[in-house]
Amino acid sequence: MPVWQPLHDELKDRGFTVIAVALDADKAAVREWATMERLTFPVLVDRNHLLAELYGFTNVPASVWIDEDGRIVRPADTAMGDDRFRAFSKVDSSIHHDLLRRWVNEGVRDLDDDAVRSNQVLPDDDTQRARLHRRIGILLGDRGDQVGRDHHLREAERLAPMDWTIVRGNMPLFGEDPFGNRFFEFVGEWMEAGQPGYPLRTGRDD
Amino acid sequence: MARVTVLDGAATLEIEATATAGGLALDAALLEAASGWSLKPEGLCFGDVCVPVRDTLALVAGSGLDADEFARITGRVAVVDAARGIVAMTESGNRRSEGLATLVAPDFTLPDIDGNPVSLHDFDRRKRLLLAWSSW
Repeated sequence: MPVWQPLHDELKDRGFTVIAVALDADKAAVREWATMERLTFPVLVDRNHLLAELYGFTNVPASVWIDEDGRIVRPADTAMGDDRFRAFSKVDSSIHHDLLRRWVNEGVRDLDDDAVRSNQVLPDDDTQRARLHRRIGILLGDRGDQVGRDHHLREAERLAPMDWTIVRGNMPLFGEDPFGNRFFEFVGEWMEAGQPGYPLRTGRDD
Repeated sequence: MARVTVLDGAATLEIEATATAGGLALDAALLEAASGWSLKPEGLCFGDVCVPVRDTLALVAGSGLDADEFARITGRVAVVDAARGIVAMTESGNRRSEGLATLVAPDFTLPDIDGNPVSLHDFDRRKRLLLAWSSW
């Protein structure tokens, strides 16, 4: 995430800003990152994953573009700050960055409204319910009810088994290694299912 | 009657409710004060807009409204944990999908790392890269 600071600096005087929202149950971890990296753009904390629900985010890091009039001009899609995870993500981040520069500097969009619509990730009721279960789980955790928390977090996974914000987001809450066995098992299941998620796949190598 | 927590979109409410065989019945008067939806002869109404109620028995329980049925009729989905006294609601998949198709960026207010509320509309007149990330 800190890797967005140079792009923000480059474009901020052109009527642009990054707004970073952490889909993160751990407020302290977010604060630590943002402070350490001296980020100058807003960094918000979204313990309830409200943003995932509003914009259809199913994985992070990901972005949407919003224009001066509050309209979505590019839908949720993977947004890498640089290529340090390219071997795993298979995303060439410069493709998205160049599209972004062109939009901010020249007002040229690479997608028209119809293309934005046809590339949106649309939620079904089970996805929405999964997000509600997660929200209840977080609340119960805050109240010290571990059993209730775990029940609702697992229900969320059952209803949205391919949603990274839920399955991967749960791993630290369950004390699981975010790069441990469960993670690679999940990646395998996700690959097997045809890598569901953002249809745009901007800058993908494969 | 017991007090339950209702998570409705970004809002958190405390409402009196009664446990029923099928779930939780939320106090109708408090629900109206909190959500703006009220039960009238013409149906469940929000301002001038009314949604007909076909199955009154499924919705009304004493002075309360069944949380699950209330959500369904108002275009939302609910998760009800009656034992723990929590109801969570949000827009149904269809409603959210229709909202996304308008391409109007939904506004939100979230705390920054110092706890100050920040809204999407604070940055109107600017191009915005809304970046979802995480420490996990």
